[in-house]
Amino acid sequence: MKGKQYSIKVYETSIDEEAEFVSFFDANHLLFKDHLIVIHGEMSEKIKQYLQQKSLTFIQNITMPVSKSRQNIRKAREAEKKKQDEEQEKISEEISKLSNRLENNLKVIDRMVRSGQEVFVEGDLLLLNRVNSGATIRTTGNLIVTQVVEGSIRCEGKFMMLSSSPKANIIFHGVEVDTELLENKLNRIELTDDKIVITPVLKKEINWAS
Amino acid sequence: MGIIIAVISGKGGVGKTTVTANLGLGIAMNGKKVAVVDFDIGQRNLDMVLGLENRVVYDIVQVMDGEATLKQALIKSKANDSLSFLAASQTKDKSVLDSLRVKNLLMELKEEFDYVILDAPAGIESGYEHTIEFADAALIVVNPEVSSIRDSDRAIGILDSKSQKVKEGEEVAKFLVINRIVAEMVQSGEMLRSDDILEILSIELLGKIPEDKGVVDASNQGKPIILNEKSKAGQAYKRIAGRITGHNIKMEDVESNTTSFFTKMKGIFK
Ligand SMILES: Nc1ncnc2c1ncn2[C@@H]1O[C@H](COP(=O)(O)OP(=O)(O)OP(=O)(O)O)[C@@H](O)[C@H]1O
Ligand SMILES: [Mg+2]
Repeated sequence: MKGKQYSIKVYETSIDEEAEFVSFFDANHLLFKDHLIVIHGEMSEKIKQYLQQKSLTFIQNITMPVSKSRQNIRKAREAEKKKQDEEQEKISEEISKLSNRLENNLKVIDRMVRSGQEVFVEGDLLLLNRVNSGATIRTTGNLIVTQVVEGSIRCEGKFMMLSSSPKANIIFHGVEVDTELLENKLNRIELTDDKIVITPVLKKEINWAS
Repeated sequence: MGIIIAVISGKGGVGKTTVTANLGLGIAMNGKKVAVVDFDIGQRNLDMVLGLENRVVYDIVQVMDGEATLKQALIKSKANDSLSFLAASQTKDKSVLDSLRVKNLLMELKEEFDYVILDAPAGIESGYEHTIEFADAALIVVNPEVSSIRDSDRAIGILDSKSQKVKEGEEVAKFLVINRIVAEMVQSGEMLRSDDILEILSIELLGKIPEDKGVVDASNQGKPIILNEKSKAGQAYKRIAGRITGHNIKMEDVESNTTSFFTKMKGIFK
C-alpha cells in the first residue's frame, strides 16, 4: 500500500446567518484557498454552490481528531471547573458557619445595592450580592457580603466577612480598614481586644502558569 | 395596546437621543407603528436628529395643556411612514410636567402605537422621573467608562423604586445598550469590556454600538445613521431593532478587531 501524509490547515465554522457567512468569504476567500473548511450543522444548496464557485474545499459535519494540545486545553478547563466548584463549596461552608453567629435580627438581602442607594440595618446583615460604587451599607451588627464591594460600608458589629474589594471604603467601629489588607478572596475582620484583626478565610489563588 | 420604552442614561451626552431616533426608525422599518417622544423639555434635540425641526407646529406641553390634539402635534417621519414624532417644548421648562398629565398622554399614545419610545433628559431629577414613571421597559444607554456606568447604576436604582410598575409589584424590563465602543481601546485595556459592565449593572445586554464618525454627521443632516447600510453603527442599530421586534439575532462583536485584521490581510493579496 502506498500513502502520503499531509498536514493541512482546517477552518471550522458553522452558518448562523448566510449573508454574514457569504460576506465573510467574499472578503477572505483568498486566505482559505488551501484550507479545508469544516462546516458544522446545516448548510444550504446555495452555500454549497457558493463555496464551489469560490474554489474552496469543504466538508460537512465530521468530527475532527482531537490533538494532544486540544486535549490538554480540555483537561485544564475541567480542572478549573472542579476547582471553582470546590471553592464555592468552601465559601458556602464558611458562610453557614459564620451565619450561625449572626444572631440579632438577622436580615438577608439578595438584591444588588446600586449607586445612590443606602441600606441601614439594625442588627446583622447577610448580603448575597454586589455593593456598587456610590452605594452605602450601614449595620449596627455583624455583616457578611459575599460579592465585591465597591461602595461604602459602616459596620458596628463584632465581625465582618468580605471578599477582596480594593475599591471599597470600609469603616469598622469608626476606623478605616485598609482595603489592601483584604487581599484574599474572602476575609474575616474581627474586633478582638479593641484591635482590628483580619484573617484570610479563602486564600488568594496562585496562578502557576503565569 | 403598545409598550412604553424609556431611553435613559443618568449621565448626559452618552447617546440617548441618537438611540431613540435610530431605534424608532429601525423598529418602524420592521413594520411596527412607532411614536418617539422628546421628554427633554426645554432642550429639544430629537427633532433635529430626525430632520423634522422645521415641521414642528405643536409640542408635548401644548398637547397636555389642551391647546392641540395629539393628532395635530404628531409629525410623520419623512424616512418611514410608520414612525411618528412628538416634539418637546422649547420654551417651557420641565416643571410643567405632572404625573397625571404625563399618564393621560402616554395612555393615548399606547392605544395608537405598538411602541412608544421616550427620550429622557440627562440627570435623575424630576424630568427623568416623569420619563420612567409609566414605562414598561427601559433601555439604559452607557458609554464604556466608569462615570457613565455609575450614573446609569444610579438611574436604574431610581427606576427600581419609583416607577409605577414597581409600585404595583411588577418589574420594569431593563436592557443595556453600550454605545461608542472602540475595539482598539478595549483590546489595549484602556476601555471597559462589556463583560465588566454587565457584571456591575447586571441587566440584560441588548446590543453594542461602535464609535462611528458617521453618527455625528448623520445627526447633523437629520438622517439617522441606520439609513446608511455601510455604517457599522447603522448595522448595529438594525440588529438591535430586530431584537426588540422579536428576531433572534446573534450579538455583534464590536470589541475585537478581527475585521480590521482581515481587511489588512486582504490588502496584501490585492
Ligand atoms: N456611536 C457613536 N459614535 C460617535 N458619536 C456618537 C455615537 N453615538 C452618539 N454620538 C454623538 O454623541 C453626542 C451625544 O449624543 P446624544 O445627543 O444622542 O446624547 P444624549 O444622551 O441624548 O445627550 P443629552 O443627555 O444631552 O440629551 C452627539 O454628538 C452624537 O452624535
Ligand atoms: Mg438627548
